Amino acid sequence: MNWGSFFRGLISFIILVVLHYTLRPLLGWRAPIDFMLIAVLLLSIRVRPGAAAIIGFIVGLISDSLTPDSLGAAAIAMTLVAYTASWLKAVFFADNLALNAFFFFVGKWMFDIVYFVGEQRLDGVQLVQQIFLWSPLSAAATAVAGVLLIVMMRPLLEPSQA
Amino acid sequence: MLAVCVALALITRLLPVSLRTPISSGLRRTVLAPLVMLQERSELSRRALLLSGPTTQMRDSVTMRALTVASLEAENDRLRQVIGLGSRLKWGFVPAEALHGRSVRDVTTLTLTAGSNAGVERMSPVVSAEGLVGVVENVDPTMSQGLFWTHPDFRVSAMTEDASAFGIVQAHAPSATSAYMMELRGVPFRTNLAAGALVISSGLGGVWPRGIPIGRIVQEIKTAEAWARTYLVRPAVFPADVTTVMILKPDRGAKGVDNVWTSAAGITAATNRIIGAGDSLARTAALAEAAARRASVSADSARAVGGVVPPPAGGIIQAPRPRPRPVDTTNTQQQQQSDTARVLQVPEDSVTTRPGAVR
Repeated sequence: MNWGSFFRGLISFIILVVLHYTLRPLLGWRAPIDFMLIAVLLLSIRVRPGAAAIIGFIVGLISDSLTPDSLGAAAIAMTLVAYTASWLKAVFFADNLALNAFFFFVGKWMFDIVYFVGEQRLDGVQLVQQIFLWSPLSAAATAVAGVLLIVMMRPLLEPSQA
Repeated sequence: MLAVCVALALITRLLPVSLRTPISSGLRRTVLAPLVMLQERSELSRRALLLSGPTTQMRDSVTMRALTVASLEAENDRLRQVIGLGSRLKWGFVPAEALHGRSVRDVTTLTLTAGSNAGVERMSPVVSAEGLVGVVENVDPTMSQGLFWTHPDFRVSAMTEDASAFGIVQAHAPSATSAYMMELRGVPFRTNLAAGALVISSGLGGVWPRGIPIGRIVQEIKTAEAWARTYLVRPAVFPADVTTVMILKPDRGAKGVDNVWTSAAGITAATNRIIGAGDSLARTAALAEAAARRASVSADSARAVGGVVPPPAGGIIQAPRPRPRPVDTTNTQQQQQSDTARVLQVPEDSVTTRPGAVR
């Protein structure tokens, strides 16, 4: 990865993080779009799995700091998702929006499963309802938003020709 | 690397609360601080967005209420006036609500919410606190129909307040539905009425008792009648403003309503005069105080400079005081006693007698 690609990726990452803390609260949906996960996924496919795991860990830990009771849960989930995304980068490189949407969906759902299980705040019916109702809905919203963002931010996200 | 990160995350997850709290707090204060600020603003924006609907509704309802306040105040004033009229009439009247005609343009008839059960009879005068409204034409047990003064068939015998001129008042109507002024017809040619003169019912004719205000003279209007004058009259009561009225019973009309409206007008005029007198007194006192203050300031400044005291700002120059001359003091004392005779001519015993003392 050259510097141009790195900076473009960094800019898109910052944009998505800002969207996570501005657009997401503004929409206030029950099944929210996870712009932070999209950012981590898009950055992870540009780096090696080890670096992706570190990025996932840091971003997860930072997002965990807003919920001190579950500190570390998002770090574990984000680390696993980022590492997996980086490992499957060949699939992401395929310029297919439906495939990208599918992996955004799977990534978000996987993150939610690991997060809510690791958080240990919900149990029983609530956990099942969260994992099998709200998490898929949130994953779907994230997938749609991710595809739209890929289309809109194509100049920033395209790999360098050099 | 994955194992290290997962292990670190697990360790973080398993940390005791006492260690977790400073870590999360440190992250919130540093890395997350601008992002949390952004989130806070977004939350506020969302809340404002959600509340905009109810806020708009609330603002609309407040505006609507504010719009009705003026009409409520006007109605309150009108009801107070009607209550005042009732207290002055004392007896022989039926209060009623005036329901306007069948259409918006119909300003010649009215429906009254009192009928024969309440003692209303045909040709009973309908009045309001301002003056003449109309007359009852048809009476049902619970309601009655009346004619406004704007009706083409309406006539009332009238006179000026000082009884210098008599005539007949009727609607001044280019058409039957557009009468908003009256005309006083049949005034003798030798009588010239001034604008603003009050026209009241004369009591002639048997329907209207004497003294009900009808309107005020506006100007003379030219008609084909060369032997009498006709005057345009601004009515005391406009049909559109009539809501609550009094229907005078025949025996009350026969007894007369003298001083019912004139006393109200007199009270108002007296009140206005008292207020005006109070204002002028206050203004005079304020002017005198200001003049005294100016004189005092001028004297102080002159004293401070060591010069001559300047004349007052009002332009009144004090004449030099004449030197005292020897005069005949006996004449002067006599003159003073004669000028102040009323003060000094007090019986001596009235001054020395104490309360309760026996003379």
